[in-house]
Amino acid sequence: MVQVQQLAAGTTIVTVDNVSLDFFKEGEPLPVLADVSLKAGKDELVAVTGPSGCGKSTLLRIIAGLIKASSGNVKILDSEVTGPRDDISMVFQNFVLLPWRTSLDNVAFGLSSRNDLTDSQKKEKAAQALEMAGLTGFEHVYPGELSGGMKQRVGVARALATDPKVLLMDEPFSSLDDLTAERLRQETYTLLINPQTSVQTVILVSHNVEEIIELADSVVVLSARPGRVKGVLKIDLPRPRNKKSQEFFDWVDKVYSLLS
Amino acid sequence: MMLALGLSIVFALTVGILAARSKRAEGVILPLLDIFQSIPILGFFPFVIFAIYQGPLENFVGANLAVIILIFTSMSWNIAFGVYEAVRAIPQDYADLLNVSQASAWQRIKSLYVPAAMSRVAYNTQISWAVGLFFLVSSEIITSGATKIPVNYGIGLAVVTFASAGDYADYALLVASLIVAVVLWRFLFLREFALWSEKYKMMEEPRDTHRDPIMKFYSWVNHRSISKLFLFVHDSGVTRFTSSIARFRRGLRVAVIIFVAGFLLLVAASVASTGHLSVGSLPSLSEITSTEVSALYALAASFVRVWYVGAISVAIGLPLGVLVSLNFRLYDVATPIFEVISSIPAPILLPAIVLIPVLGQSPEFVAGIVIILSMFWYIVFNVMAGVRTLPADMKDLPRVFKAGRGSAWRNVYIPSALTGLVTGTITGVGGAWNALIIAEYFQVDISKPPITQVSIGIGKMITVATAQQNYLVLFCAILSMTVLIVSFNLVVWRRIYHHVTKRYTYNR
Repeated sequence: MVQVQQLAAGTTIVTVDNVSLDFFKEGEPLPVLADVSLKAGKDELVAVTGPSGCGKSTLLRIIAGLIKASSGNVKILDSEVTGPRDDISMVFQNFVLLPWRTSLDNVAFGLSSRNDLTDSQKKEKAAQALEMAGLTGFEHVYPGELSGGMKQRVGVARALATDPKVLLMDEPFSSLDDLTAERLRQETYTLLINPQTSVQTVILVSHNVEEIIELADSVVVLSARPGRVKGVLKIDLPRPRNKKSQEFFDWVDKVYSLLS
Repeated sequence: MMLALGLSIVFALTVGILAARSKRAEGVILPLLDIFQSIPILGFFPFVIFAIYQGPLENFVGANLAVIILIFTSMSWNIAFGVYEAVRAIPQDYADLLNVSQASAWQRIKSLYVPAAMSRVAYNTQISWAVGLFFLVSSEIITSGATKIPVNYGIGLAVVTFASAGDYADYALLVASLIVAVVLWRFLFLREFALWSEKYKMMEEPRDTHRDPIMKFYSWVNHRSISKLFLFVHDSGVTRFTSSIARFRRGLRVAVIIFVAGFLLLVAASVASTGHLSVGSLPSLSEITSTEVSALYALAASFVRVWYVGAISVAIGLPLGVLVSLNFRLYDVATPIFEVISSIPAPILLPAIVLIPVLGQSPEFVAGIVIILSMFWYIVFNVMAGVRTLPADMKDLPRVFKAGRGSAWRNVYIPSALTGLVTGTITGVGGAWNALIIAEYFQVDISKPPITQVSIGIGKMITVATAQQNYLVLFCAILSMTVLIVSFNLVVWRRIYHHVTKRYTYNR
């Protein structure tokens, strides 16, 4: 549906190079992230995990250009990220939908920066995105009337509508119940890692190890305060992955032992 | 003032606990609380003065008593509501525990009800304090105008005396020392009280981003309680009033109570002035009609005045509140400043406003400023509380999706401030109606011309009638004003409030 540059599989899309971040509390520097580097390639889903307070969500916001790193930089292909940009989009843990706008208008709000589109074109595009996210028939419903799973579908649709190259997901399934999360996980993966969409790489922040083994091509494990890369594992399990297989359990163990 | 505050807390605890624990008491107390907090108390003050001062206690004790009663009245309702809600919210498990251990009524009150209500008492005391200060100053001014024997000492009185004597150095000094006193009191006592009461909290309050207890209070108010200050709206705990039939019956009851109370006041007033009770001393029907017509004209003028000033306050307060709450650093600097400015009662600034060159000579301008000062901060604080409760991600949303400034305000910021804006405006307009009484007509010495007066207005009508002890005019003016305010709340605000809280409240 979108013109996608043809890039060879494995081409690095996102490069995070030695990113550090200090907060200042009463003049004292408080390191949050220390020399974090990672790479996310074409058609890859890279997971970032770590104990709470390791700054994984902060890292995501640095990649998004919302927070400025104290040192180091983030690049999308060859251009440095200096602020929020059109080719990055985000899905939030708590959905962050505008309660006073219908799902259609919420998705259309994601297209705010597209000055080349008229309002009706935005709505048309938003409707397409909702359809992809499986929400046909719910265009004119307010978020308050949707279930958690459906809210997150709106969140995904909003992120996809902008045709981003890079999709950042901040614990997108952790405020859903297990069954809903499981279904949405599978659907989202097929939706994203798919030549039909513009998304070329996904960075997923999660503390759910099983979710990571199920979805990710590689996982970056951070240590606590300050967040430092403890290890990067390439998860080479064939897809679709069987959550009940021995290999799956072995991988879960491997990540857990790196975490603790 | 302290006496009145102490009285208010004791009264609030008693009434609140009683209402929460007894179905029958609840049925009587809640509607009464509703009425008392939606009428402009200041309007009723003249009656209190006459009842006490003209009656048995014609000396400074009577005048002081009247002032204390007024402040007490202005402060106790919202504390009582806080206590009621807190006691209602005590989980059943705790009540069961006391049943199992066979605690006596006094033990229950001491060990459960009072501690459970403590944090709410503390928060509500903060707003009551500001309200009380306003009434303190206003009532002292009115008393000294209406009676020849002034309240013996009082800041409100002193301000007026200095200002009328042209002693502006002393006046400035006095205003400055009042500000210092307000600051000290707020930060040394109220804040400590609020922080101390935190440990009495039974349950986690809804996710809250305010560290500052005063802002916490405003945010809490935003969610539920102000609706009760001025509207007949109750949340989950008190749903039995929400059906339309019950609402109608309550409305009817309110009307009957107001009417009967008004009639009794009229009779009492005429008895007080003539010294004997006779039907002949009551005014004739034509007299009532013509007075009522002029009261309605004055009311219309004041209504327009309140609302154009309200529009200005919203136009400034909304963007200001949003801007301040979006910027952390600005917020930390601005909040304490706002708190202090907002707790200076507008009436004491009136003598200074009159001194503003050219504009100070226009009574409309002076009245407008005093009204703005009385309503503006309610709007700002409530807007701030609304925007502050937005999660950080929500505030980032316009940046994530590169929304322009216009789109961000239209889609995110203004809608998120809307609930606070409505609550703030409701409360602010309530404050404005009270402020009218001072703002429209301000006279210190009956023998001299008033410092400021508008050509027509309900506040002026009430003040003048008080000074002239004209009970009929007073009665018509106050009754019309009360009916207008109460019905406006029921018909207009109630709907807007329901719509806005339903659609524009952010709970992910």
